[in-house]
Amino acid sequence: MSEYTFLEKPRISCALGGALATVNALPRTVALLHASLGCGGMTSNANQNGSGYLGSGYCGGNSIPTTSIGEREIVFGGLDRLEEQLRNTAEIIDADLFVVITGCTAEIIGDDVESTVREYNENRGDNPPAILASGAGFKGDSQWGYDSAMEAIFRSYVNPPIERKKGLVNVLGILPAQDVWWRGDLLEIRRILTGLGLEVNTFFTAQDSLDKIRQASEAELNIVLSPTHGVTTAEVAEELYSTPRLATGLPVGAKATTEFVLEIAKRLELDQAKVDAFLAEERRNYYQIFNRLADAYADIDLQRYAVVVGNVRYAHAFAKFVNTELGWITPLVVITDQVESSLRPALVDRFRDFLEDADAVVVFETDTSLIETHLAERWPRPDGGRYYQPFSPAFVLGSRLDKEFAEGLGISHLSVSYPVSNRVILNRGYAGFTGGLSLTEDIYTVALAAR
Amino acid sequence: MNYLDKNVPPTREERLKACNTFGGTACGLVSSSKHGCLGSNDRGFLQSTGCQLGLTMAIAGTIPEAVIIFHGPVGCGSSQLSQAGLSKLNQQSRGNTVKITREWFSTNLSESEVVNGGVEKLEATIREVDRRHRPKVIWIASTCVPGVIGDDVDAVVQKVQHEVSAKVMPLHCAGFKTRIVATAYDVVYHAILRYLIDDPELNRELVFQDEVERFAYEEKRKRTVNLLNVGSMSRVDEDELVRLLKALNLEVNILPCFAPPDRFVRAKDAALCVSICATHDDYFVSHLKEIWNVPYILSTIPIGTDHIRKWLFEIADFFGIRDQAERLVAAEEAELKKALEPLKQALKGKRVYVSAGEIRAGAQAILFQNDLEMELIGVRAHHYDKYGDVLFQDLPDDLPVNVATSQPFEQVNLVKRANPDIYVGHVGGNVWSAKLGIPVLPIFGPLNNYLGYKGIFEIANRLARVLKNPSYYRTLGETEALPYKESWYQADPFKYIRQAPIPAETDPIDADIAA
Repeated sequence: MSEYTFLEKPRISCALGGALATVNALPRTVALLHASLGCGGMTSNANQNGSGYLGSGYCGGNSIPTTSIGEREIVFGGLDRLEEQLRNTAEIIDADLFVVITGCTAEIIGDDVESTVREYNENRGDNPPAILASGAGFKGDSQWGYDSAMEAIFRSYVNPPIERKKGLVNVLGILPAQDVWWRGDLLEIRRILTGLGLEVNTFFTAQDSLDKIRQASEAELNIVLSPTHGVTTAEVAEELYSTPRLATGLPVGAKATTEFVLEIAKRLELDQAKVDAFLAEERRNYYQIFNRLADAYADIDLQRYAVVVGNVRYAHAFAKFVNTELGWITPLVVITDQVESSLRPALVDRFRDFLEDADAVVVFETDTSLIETHLAERWPRPDGGRYYQPFSPAFVLGSRLDKEFAEGLGISHLSVSYPVSNRVILNRGYAGFTGGLSLTEDIYTVALAAR
Repeated sequence: MNYLDKNVPPTREERLKACNTFGGTACGLVSSSKHGCLGSNDRGFLQSTGCQLGLTMAIAGTIPEAVIIFHGPVGCGSSQLSQAGLSKLNQQSRGNTVKITREWFSTNLSESEVVNGGVEKLEATIREVDRRHRPKVIWIASTCVPGVIGDDVDAVVQKVQHEVSAKVMPLHCAGFKTRIVATAYDVVYHAILRYLIDDPELNRELVFQDEVERFAYEEKRKRTVNLLNVGSMSRVDEDELVRLLKALNLEVNILPCFAPPDRFVRAKDAALCVSICATHDDYFVSHLKEIWNVPYILSTIPIGTDHIRKWLFEIADFFGIRDQAERLVAAEEAELKKALEPLKQALKGKRVYVSAGEIRAGAQAILFQNDLEMELIGVRAHHYDKYGDVLFQDLPDDLPVNVATSQPFEQVNLVKRANPDIYVGHVGGNVWSAKLGIPVLPIFGPLNNYLGYKGIFEIANRLARVLKNPSYYRTLGETEALPYKESWYQADPFKYIRQAPIPAETDPIDADIAA
């Protein structure tokens, strides 16, 4: 049994939901679910409305080919249905790659899916190849599902490396749908790395292609913008193709992005003069815009106390940004992922470079209704006396689920982490230089909305 | 019918021989239905849909002061995340402000529970939910994994019930059990009928001040109808139906959606149960009649003047007030007709494709044809059973009909060929027609008004608006690709359907059934 008996309104979906979001984001790739009939629809719904109206994309939503395991398959096995579904999918769906994702029921009844997929591949003729990824919800959550799908790509789809390609890097650890800013963030990370003269696989943007993804095994470095998810995939690539890996945080704003660029440059031994010139130009552009806030900041006093709530990637990235660039104070940062206690200290350590009292500030809490208790422990409620220190002016930077918490405190709120059902997200991102400016704009637009 | 001695209600396949697979004409569908030929139809290619678990939430998820526990791996409840703001709006519009309405939990089953069983986790979760939130009701939505590994959820409920203050009610809704997701409604009603409606705590006898008050209550009771709402209708729809029923001097008790738990108890006192959708309510009203002797009306939905009239007359006949109803209908229809005239200019002759649940699809199609004089070119129904016959037999015999829960591959094949001026459909399926460049009107949503006379006007009004500037859809059609090969659009849309031969009209029904 995991340390978590139950979860209140989990801010994640299951492995199948995560794998599905990942596969749907790959170019010309179509998922085929070997799962109960509702798994695709239910998790698509979560992804759609939880990720800023993600959109079903090419073949998502209720277009996803599915075996729809029913009572008959539970009793007699589902391989006949899978074989038929694969054959007919190849007949009518226009794709270059199929990823068969297995759900809970398929894995419990023990269907030998691997052999059916192998048989399909052996006889597929001109039809697209199929690979297999586990999406069993009892094995992991949607973040685990990202790695499950990406591992399948690295194990079963990429070319055996012909040679290490100087200047080619893969970007991992930005999870489609679950990291709600994934599209914009990947574009910005791609822009920055390309600006450094690198060739980049970001897997999920319009600039990515399956041909390029096949060369991912030849990369010089796997950059993982996350301390946890994405790391497993990079480890697989290291094991299979000896690709080294570098785990960083998600850089938001000029300071974090400068650190990120310098770390990459050092690791890849890039020409320092070129890197410096690139950074100088980026920073000049950034601060020329960012500093226009100065009048308002100085006249209105735009410093805030803040509670930051998000997954292990976002909680860190946004807390760092508001502390180091906006000069805010964060008495409470909530990491909403399920993290076993043995792994927590290392994740808290990541906050130490900008939070003196990281141990007191950072909490691991999956249950939304308990967040206010954590704040009350750190910020005493009014005691009835004339003088007390109010939690004001203050801001909650969290998900849609944290809106009522902010309303209860009478403070501002912006949805920046999953689920975001009250904003539409297209190509907006918060990573990098561009993202830092967008986040600043969004935060203060909310803070000043009453004017 | 009485299934209340069973832990788990039958599926719609078992109980009604419902099907979700058919391709042909309206006449062929009704004929197949009457001959009982639909039940074994299936497909060789399938696309994902929701499951009955999701649809149980259309009722269970709306009950105020209830908390839901999804007993399963972490993803099974995740589509609830999409409901956060919407659910709040819907509750508030019904005057419910209690915050715990929106609480839900997952028992987060992992590999070790798959091996050792998940009941311990479920028990712990029920106790903690009760302690933390003190809800009136705790729903246990039991999913595929406990269904396959054999967790005895009813035993857990029995064991834990007297340790907690909430009423604990199991929903047996493992997705793999049925392809007819409407089974979900029976699952929720089953729990309400078995666990809630006779709950002694909620059933305490009313205390009257004196005989006069008792008499007044009794008189009111004789004029009270249970109006059964559905999760996808808006508060405005409810107001419209209440307005019509009140015009007949009736009292209205609205349930099941958004109804506080004690309202179900009062449902037994009503003079009549009025359903707007047999797909939603037949299980509930049949049991209420069988066990508590409350008569019901189930035959149609108040969409379009023809069926509003039918619906109102049936209610009026029950109370012996047909004259009143005829006067009401005449006045309403006259007023509506005048209001529709200018809108009809824009709609008359426009070619429309309709997709929805069987009852709404049928009624909506008739509305477009008869009230708005549009040209009906195709109808899709999510599933089909005998309750659809009364509507589909009124459609043109040769009208193309597809029965499919979603299945956008059949949809785009049909719709691309038919090239309608507008596609009217259900949430989730609209986008696939939109990507063909066809303007879409989503009418069946919890914020839209589509019932009663006001609903007709509202739909006509919105249709005219959508048709006035379809540029968004046209651009979408020009710039977006659907995932099908070109050859699919040339193929028979029903290529992957395996269905029983459609009996000719002349086939004797009795002989067929006897065989």
